[in-house]
Amino acid sequence: MLTDSEWQVLALSAQVGLWATLLCAIPGIFFGWLLARKDFFAKPVLDAVLFMPMVLPPTVPGYLLLVVFGSQGVAGQWLKNNFGIELAFNWKGAVLASAVIAFPLMVQAAKLSVQMIDRRLELAASTLGASPFKVWRTVTLPLMLPGILIGSIMVFSRSLGEFGATITFVGNIAGETRTLPLAIYSATHQIDGDAMALRLILICLALAFFSLLLSNLLTRRAERWLGVRRA
Amino acid sequence: MRHTAKLFNALISCLLLLAASFTQAADIKVSAAASLTDAMTELSRIYEKSNAGVVIKTSYAGSSTLAKQIENGAPADVFISADKDWADYLEKRGLLTSESRKDLLINDLVLISPLNRAPAIQLQKNVDLLSSFSGKLCTGEPAYVPVGKYAKQALTYYGWWEAIQPRLVGTEDVRTALAFVERGECALGIVYKTDALMSKKVQVVASFPAESHVPIVYPGGLTKNANQDAHAFWQFLQSEQATQVFLRYGFGVAVNGAQ
Amino acid sequence: MLEVDVYFQREEFSLQVTHHFSAPISGVFGASGSGKSTLLALIAGLLKPKQGRIRLNGKTLCDTHAGVWTPPHQRHIGLVFQDGQLLPHLSVRNNLLYGYQNISPQQRRLAPDTIVELLEIGSLLERKPAQLSGGEKQRVALGRAVLYSPELLLLDEPLSALDERLKQQILPFFLRIYDECKIPMIYVTHAMSELNFLTSQRFVVQDGKLQQEIN
Repeated sequence: MLTDSEWQVLALSAQVGLWATLLCAIPGIFFGWLLARKDFFAKPVLDAVLFMPMVLPPTVPGYLLLVVFGSQGVAGQWLKNNFGIELAFNWKGAVLASAVIAFPLMVQAAKLSVQMIDRRLELAASTLGASPFKVWRTVTLPLMLPGILIGSIMVFSRSLGEFGATITFVGNIAGETRTLPLAIYSATHQIDGDAMALRLILICLALAFFSLLLSNLLTRRAERWLGVRRA
Repeated sequence: MRHTAKLFNALISCLLLLAASFTQAADIKVSAAASLTDAMTELSRIYEKSNAGVVIKTSYAGSSTLAKQIENGAPADVFISADKDWADYLEKRGLLTSESRKDLLINDLVLISPLNRAPAIQLQKNVDLLSSFSGKLCTGEPAYVPVGKYAKQALTYYGWWEAIQPRLVGTEDVRTALAFVERGECALGIVYKTDALMSKKVQVVASFPAESHVPIVYPGGLTKNANQDAHAFWQFLQSEQATQVFLRYGFGVAVNGAQ
Repeated sequence: MLEVDVYFQREEFSLQVTHHFSAPISGVFGASGSGKSTLLALIAGLLKPKQGRIRLNGKTLCDTHAGVWTPPHQRHIGLVFQDGQLLPHLSVRNNLLYGYQNISPQQRRLAPDTIVELLEIGSLLERKPAQLSGGEKQRVALGRAVLYSPELLLLDEPLSALDERLKQQILPFFLRIYDECKIPMIYVTHAMSELNFLTSQRFVVQDGKLQQEIN
């Protein structure tokens, strides 16, 4: 049904997507919670910075990543010298590109889910002897779960479609950074690549459909568990 | 009575001027290979200066990208490719007119490195290229970008093609490959001689001899729907004046190209 | 038992309370917005007074002058909210045990089984709060606060969301809790009928002040 190289593209896209989601998770939850619950002087600035990848054309963050994390960049050299990690022309760089682009989606989902939590529940928990950390762990975090799930799926889906930042930062290298959208782009450039492009596009559509379906199912499950929806 | 006549005259004059500007405003769309960026930009300026009212709109990218765009309906009057294959591709589909098609320029292939960081490489068959440098080698995507295809031929000629695979980075056009080498992201690159000449941040490590690849020829021509002004511009590009500009950038003139 | 001497202000609202609560059940009555809920929030530590002091059983919970502040989770004061505030993602059982699990075995003076029986919520244990009626929710909220073995129980209009019939049904439980567990309570409401049933120690919050009710 699918050729070997197409499986490779699919597997790479999934791998990049999963790691990008993992990378976004903890910082995304933290910043979402911070924006929802705390007020401080620089908050509007932080808010703007965190959501910038959403309004910038993806080639801009891609280029900035190249400057900072490329082999000549400050962070790139630090990673190479201390951990032996190279990101340029590498699937790990593709993960970073997707994570940066999709990060606002996780922050937003986390922020919304925290805003929807009735603060009096947290107050009630503290009157029952729970320290602030315990309140966060036993009340806030579980109630954030549907939001975090949605955020994760959105990050994964956005990563599956990430093109501009990826091709600018890590190039379009088969087996290493050639994720689904880049593979479709390459296929349409080849003289007889239209058939492959079409197959890859169908895969894209199927993936998009199933991830949305999964998101829906998981959210309903989570809501039922939270008691928002009757069993 | 006299006032309305005056107004009427003014209105008609305006409309005539407008109509005149429409007929005179000529818009020539040029899709040219990325390696022609600087030369074509200069030539467009020269042409616009001496042909009032003509506006030249240029689009530079990998020849593969441009050809595919034209195939899918992108408006272009003049097309110049960096290899025969993509010109054949369009001519076969009737999108490039056979009468206008001519080989315009020739070029050479070079191996480059970032400035002052040239590894010692010998262009000899079956010498171990991989141990002579560390890092990546950057060129156009060998599957479809002209400079990449030439690079693949040259690398195959020297027996390096199989071995270089894990360290090869393919880009969508030659200028992106050049930029990666300029930035030091890639230790080596294979680009056209003209690109190396343009850049102050790279140096030529070696020049690939003619026998290591098919001749690098830039065929060009007019598209199916090219207008009169485009015809005139295409003639200009083949003129002595244009040739002098191309030579200055390091291109050679194709044998059957010019007058 | 509970010494309160606080002054609180927010925008145009101000509250001054100076009183020593010593009765088993103290009733606090007041109209909406009079500040009776604010008083409970101050005692529980959910609000900070502008100045003043609160001492419970000899321990200083708050002293603005001396810079003493005990956060709510360390005050051992239980609070039953008007709408229960049951944790929606936990079962009734786990809600009941939420505070119970935050105290050491030595501090636990009441057994879960006893409270469950007392409040007649045995059949509800495996349900989620979304599946409970209003009256059931309040009983669970009461049980949860009691199982925390607090030194003082604050009740903020616990029955105001229920209809008359339910109120009559649940009011006796509060007396039962006091009789069995001996936890002192401060019961706040705007319905005098509830206080009539529960206690003779009644106070009114009015004009930003706490006054003993003359009866």
